[in-house]
Amino acid sequence: MKWKFAAAIAGYVLASSAHAAFTADQVKTFTLANGMKFIVLESSTIPNANMYTFWKVGSRNEAPGTTGLSHFFEHMMFNGSKHYGPKMFDRTMEAAGGSNNAYTSSDVTVYQDWFPATSLETIFKLESDRIAHLTIDPKMVESERGVVLSERSTGLENSNVRMLMEDLNSVAFSAHPYSWPVIGFESDIKAWTQQDLVNYFRTYYAPNNAVSVIVGDVKADQVKTLATKYFGAIPKRAVPPAVKTVEPEQKGERRLFVAKPSATSANLMVAYKVPRADSPDYYALNVLQSVLTEGKTSRLYKALVEKQLATSVGADATDGFDPGLLYVFAVAASGVDGAKVEKALLDEIDNVVKNGISEQELQAVKNKKLVNLYRAQETINGKAQQLGNYETFFGDWRKLFAAPAEYEKLTAADIQAVAARYLKKSQRTVGMLAAKEE
Amino acid sequence: MMKKLVFTTALLGATGVACAAEFKVPQFETTRLPNGLTVMLMERHEVPLIAVRAVVKAGAVNDGPQAGLANLTGDAILLGSEKHSKSAIDEAFDFRGAQLAGGSATEQTTVQANFAKNDAAALLPLFAEIVQQPSFEATELDKLKTRKVSGLKQAKESPRQVAGTYYRSMLYGDAPYASPPGGTVNSLSALKRGDVQGFHQRYFRPDNAAVIVVGDFDPAAMRKQIETLFGQWKADGPPPQRADYGKPLADKPRVWLVNKPDAIETTFVIGGPGIARNDADYVPLQVLNTVLGGRFTSWLNDELRVNSGLTYGANSAFAPLAQSGLFSMSSFTASAKTEAALDLALKTYNRLWGTGNGGGIDKATLDSAKAYVKGQFPPRFETSEQLASLLGDMYALGVDRAQIDNFMRDVDGLTPVKAKQLVDKHFPRNNLQMVLVGKADDIRKVAAKYGEVTELDISADGFKPAGK
Repeated sequence: MKWKFAAAIAGYVLASSAHAAFTADQVKTFTLANGMKFIVLESSTIPNANMYTFWKVGSRNEAPGTTGLSHFFEHMMFNGSKHYGPKMFDRTMEAAGGSNNAYTSSDVTVYQDWFPATSLETIFKLESDRIAHLTIDPKMVESERGVVLSERSTGLENSNVRMLMEDLNSVAFSAHPYSWPVIGFESDIKAWTQQDLVNYFRTYYAPNNAVSVIVGDVKADQVKTLATKYFGAIPKRAVPPAVKTVEPEQKGERRLFVAKPSATSANLMVAYKVPRADSPDYYALNVLQSVLTEGKTSRLYKALVEKQLATSVGADATDGFDPGLLYVFAVAASGVDGAKVEKALLDEIDNVVKNGISEQELQAVKNKKLVNLYRAQETINGKAQQLGNYETFFGDWRKLFAAPAEYEKLTAADIQAVAARYLKKSQRTVGMLAAKEE
Repeated sequence: MMKKLVFTTALLGATGVACAAEFKVPQFETTRLPNGLTVMLMERHEVPLIAVRAVVKAGAVNDGPQAGLANLTGDAILLGSEKHSKSAIDEAFDFRGAQLAGGSATEQTTVQANFAKNDAAALLPLFAEIVQQPSFEATELDKLKTRKVSGLKQAKESPRQVAGTYYRSMLYGDAPYASPPGGTVNSLSALKRGDVQGFHQRYFRPDNAAVIVVGDFDPAAMRKQIETLFGQWKADGPPPQRADYGKPLADKPRVWLVNKPDAIETTFVIGGPGIARNDADYVPLQVLNTVLGGRFTSWLNDELRVNSGLTYGANSAFAPLAQSGLFSMSSFTASAKTEAALDLALKTYNRLWGTGNGGGIDKATLDSAKAYVKGQFPPRFETSEQLASLLGDMYALGVDRAQIDNFMRDVDGLTPVKAKQLVDKHFPRNNLQMVLVGKADDIRKVAAKYGEVTELDISADGFKPAGK
């Protein structure tokens, strides 16, 4: 039996102008009169295509009492519209050879369709109908609550990282909506009203709040014709309200402990406050993250895994519209005290802050970024995800093509400077999960 | 947070092909060196990357009483060669953004690398060294073993990671196919360096291996380089022979109840014997399984998730091995809803044999499933890594390329009448086997409804009842 949760691709950054699988002049874009933007890349390596639609709505747009609503709404988008009643979105798509999924983060909700290129028009019919005419059936809402409660509990049952991160976020943020879990609190999941859902749809699912990326064996002209035909008549709406809450400055280290009786070893997560995705420090921070945890010669792999303190190390930073967190985590080896792992991890981070990194390490990361770019661009999905991420979080898909130069110009001193600026004790939250609290 | 669980129906394992009209395995060349080594080369120029893998015909089925030996050997390959230390190897690959991994499955052990085209000259010789002359340096091997033992313990924190291993152990009993590929805490802890060296010596030999290269290279030059790097590899004595790895046992309904005291949900697997990887009905069965549990609108997901809200996802799959295989349905639900979910899964499963409205597979449903599997096929053949994996399966498991080349034809040829015949022939109807991972105190009575119950403790060593 195999199981897999598709991971939201965090930040496939970087690109190379000369050797990338595609270039900026191959990308076509157009914007409908209602403000909905389309990015199209013709790619004929397989007879398939995809459509990734990025909506600028996520859990940061929620409030206490409605936590998890963005994600729940993502589920409801599959439960019926004017011409396609309950279940018909999926049935129609699958009968046309297509499949789909969607994900919600703190900042965006993204719908993904994968289909034979010959089914492009069917996909446009399905996607436009639910944007123009979603029906929110109260009966569907009730059964979908059970699904989301199961999704929530199975995540907590099977993933220590998920459990720890959920609690850590609530400690790291005291005011900003990044504080609560994307999936929402159990009591809120049980409490949404019909009106909450209707309001949400009206506020955020406006064509001018979305960008759609289509990559595959299609023609840009054909995509434009279909987009105009099916999405063109959907009215533009007011820009959604801005998120006003600004997280107050953190004044010192914060700590938390999570007990999970069946944990066989300690799980450690240290999160540092970092700026929003389009910060000038973005690329240097991204390199720093790689220096710390990417590959067997990374700092933390050598200091923790090679020294038998941990079985794995990792780092993650989600692209966000607001200042967020850089997470660094490790799973302790059997019989190794969590505190010992924590000390080794923090010592190593302090070492980078004090002494910086070598030219060799910097070059290794630059090399990795380039090869990873090729890997991402080997598939139509990787290309769509990159274009959509850059357009959404950096304001312009073209910046994808500027990324190689952004990496190339970084010096070891730049990396040390961001380490010193952000990896500070006062700006970190330290979380530990283990069988019991010592 | 995703809308849905992504099903890995693994239509043909990790495979690939292009072009809807043709659907053939892309062109590649196979040669055999004088020492018996099979070499497979497939050119691809979409991105300047090369995927390389060495595939050895040996895996958990060759572990004998030393469960986890193949797996440990596959990973220990990376610990350095006779000429280069582990740190030198790690540095060489990591500095270039290359990926290097070892691994072992039930019937094959692989060493794989993925790197930029321009780094082939620097990295291929190292790759060849670790495959042919690994050092298995003692200190590093101990560290690896210790880390893997921790990993085995950690895996049991997640029912989803281990439910399938219990299920296979239950169905295959004492046969080699029951052997847990990763081993158990006790079996792995007992392995010695000599065991690993012995395994390498027995199975890592040119007449029992293939070297596969897929990606952006010049074939003449690559062929020459592979010959230079692997041509001196010698085999001693007769090559290893394949034995009988076992058939699934399902003589009466049985339930293994795996107790995890802090579980908040029950994770379950239900099923019985399936088919072998090269079964003539493999492709049409993928279509039928799509109807039952292989896609979002499948019967199982529709009933257990969409109609009842009992779970976030339910699926079914055939898990074929070279000689035999298993069929299973799987899902999870809140502990208190265990009985409702199990009953609904079984009721839904029985629709395969039903008649009249809602029973059997009608033409419209079949047509939809056929369109679905065809539409979702090409992306499985998109990357060099996926294609290298396909060639590896063709070599190690004897997967016939006709199965892929005829995929479209075999899907199109499926009719409702033939579907009914295949359901009767291949889906296990009686004596269903069941694994439940959950809080035993809450679900013990429920478990007894479905067969003879054997209780296991998830924290006990291994994946079968003590003393068995």
